[in-house]
Amino acid sequence: MSQQAVLHPQAPIHERPGYRAALLARYGESVLIYAAFAIFVIVIGLPFYFIFSSSITPSTELFNVPPTYWPSVPTLDNYLRMSQSIPFLTYFRNSLIFGIGSSAVSVIAAGMAAYALARIRFPGSNAIYLALILSVALPQIAVLVPMFQTFNTFRLVNTHHGLIIMMSSLMLPFTIITLVSFIKQVPAEIEEAAYIDGANTVQIITRVVLPLIRPALFTMFLINFIISWNELLYPLVFAHTVDTKTLSVGLTELTDPGSTYTKPWDMMSALSVFMIIPVLLIILFGQRMIISGLARGALK
Amino acid sequence: MTLRSPANRRHGLFAQLTLQQRFYVVAIVLLLPAVMLRTFTAFYPFLQTAYLSFHRYNPAFDHNGPVFVGLGNFQRMGADPVVQASISFTILFVVGATFAQLTLGLAVAHLLNASFRLRFLSRALVLIPWAVPMAVAALGFRWMFDDQFGIIPDLLRTLAGIEMRWLIDPNNAKLAVIAVAIWKSTPFVALVLLAGLQGIGRDLYEAARVDGANAWTSLFYITIPMLLPILITTGMFMIVWQLAVFDLPFLMTGGGPGFSTTVIAQKIYLESNSLNYGYAASISMVLVGIVAVVGVIGLTLFRRFDVSI
Repeated sequence: MSQQAVLHPQAPIHERPGYRAALLARYGESVLIYAAFAIFVIVIGLPFYFIFSSSITPSTELFNVPPTYWPSVPTLDNYLRMSQSIPFLTYFRNSLIFGIGSSAVSVIAAGMAAYALARIRFPGSNAIYLALILSVALPQIAVLVPMFQTFNTFRLVNTHHGLIIMMSSLMLPFTIITLVSFIKQVPAEIEEAAYIDGANTVQIITRVVLPLIRPALFTMFLINFIISWNELLYPLVFAHTVDTKTLSVGLTELTDPGSTYTKPWDMMSALSVFMIIPVLLIILFGQRMIISGLARGALK
Repeated sequence: MTLRSPANRRHGLFAQLTLQQRFYVVAIVLLLPAVMLRTFTAFYPFLQTAYLSFHRYNPAFDHNGPVFVGLGNFQRMGADPVVQASISFTILFVVGATFAQLTLGLAVAHLLNASFRLRFLSRALVLIPWAVPMAVAALGFRWMFDDQFGIIPDLLRTLAGIEMRWLIDPNNAKLAVIAVAIWKSTPFVALVLLAGLQGIGRDLYEAARVDGANAWTSLFYITIPMLLPILITTGMFMIVWQLAVFDLPFLMTGGGPGFSTTVIAQKIYLESNSLNYGYAASISMVLVGIVAVVGVIGLTLFRRFDVSI
């Protein structure tokens, strides 16, 4: 560029020879990147825009042809009617109990198992690890009927703890894989040093190991909370009472299985917005941790 | 091994064990909750499913418990068009979605890896489709694809002049369901591939550029071969995971129109709800069998390409 500027000092910059090629070389790549970014934002964002705009569109306007892209008079009426047609606050509470309980139990049980599998050599350890991680491939639906019978026998259907048991168990394999790979990266010398200094196993775990793997445990807690917050099948099959149903079940309750035209999209979009908000907050807060946790679990 | 812990000041059963034996006790205690949970909700119920698959059991009729029918349930599947339709759609869904997720995921991973000012924003945004409840996505898209009030047919009509009916046409409904699966899970694949991309040394690309490679040759001769182990692992994971898909087609199309978007999981759900427990169990075994076949292929590929898991 500078050479050309010397050769043609008086010409306007865009008329100098080689300007286009130089421009393309310099900005072509970033133009391409920003164009790709724009497409990416639209594809990801459009459904959210539509769900949000539907939730504040009066139901009379929502069923228009052509569709309404933005309401003429935004309203919160849909939210009000949604909270009147299902026990929204109770379901919200149930979802929180289900999500927090399941992720806590799964992280604790997986953390314990992962420590044993990563650090202690004992006969059968490989077989147990293999059985635990292979069970990730077992489809939930394939064991639903026997599970229902077992849970029924133990009076665990329609209980929070029953739902927490099955959900935390479902998330265990992935959590164990991630935590084993994390623990293996922590040098064992620290623990060996603690042994030599006379610490017992409980002290080693609570004072040495736990502080070291706390970030990984917290990451898995966030990921598992999102997964259980989103879970539909288990609550749908195992929760039939107002006191145990979660928001995702509430969403299906709003759906009229009958005709298309009676589907209350106004209320469904309002509830959808409420279901999205908590996961959005978690992502804003823990983006970096979640990305590393997901990648680690899938790569190992 | 007769080592004793130097810090042993206690007496009792645990104290009398050798150090090695104590490690075993600790390992068992640590593994117990996880093993019990998985036994209670996966291993034991799976054995029951296997048992039930050779029995006729409908609790409304068979009051004396399951009746042994041998391979009767599997023969019945051969004559059940819904089972065949659901198997073929599930395979189409899984293969189509996984292929697109890997391809687009690689493209998105490059975007997330590119250095530009809004990169932090792209990495926050990419998590959103993964994190949003499948129920919300399925119902939201169900509405967006609606043939009368949806914005996708409307946008296609006004922007591209394409007149298309989605959810009332069997083939387009299949396409729509697969598209939502791609939208929902491509970001997850992209994040995993991003981690892989970051592991490839820059010097490889620089050396290739010196040798006259362009973007495409770099992609096909450096990026893809280097990512192959991750691509295989992720692909297998997505296939196995999506073979069991239930909530997306269940909420988006209800399996329709007809049974065109019914997946195996929904067929199992329908038979379970009709209390045909034996028949549902045998379809479950077919699903597990398909998963196992994919798993074996996956493990063979792992060995072939020397992937350590």
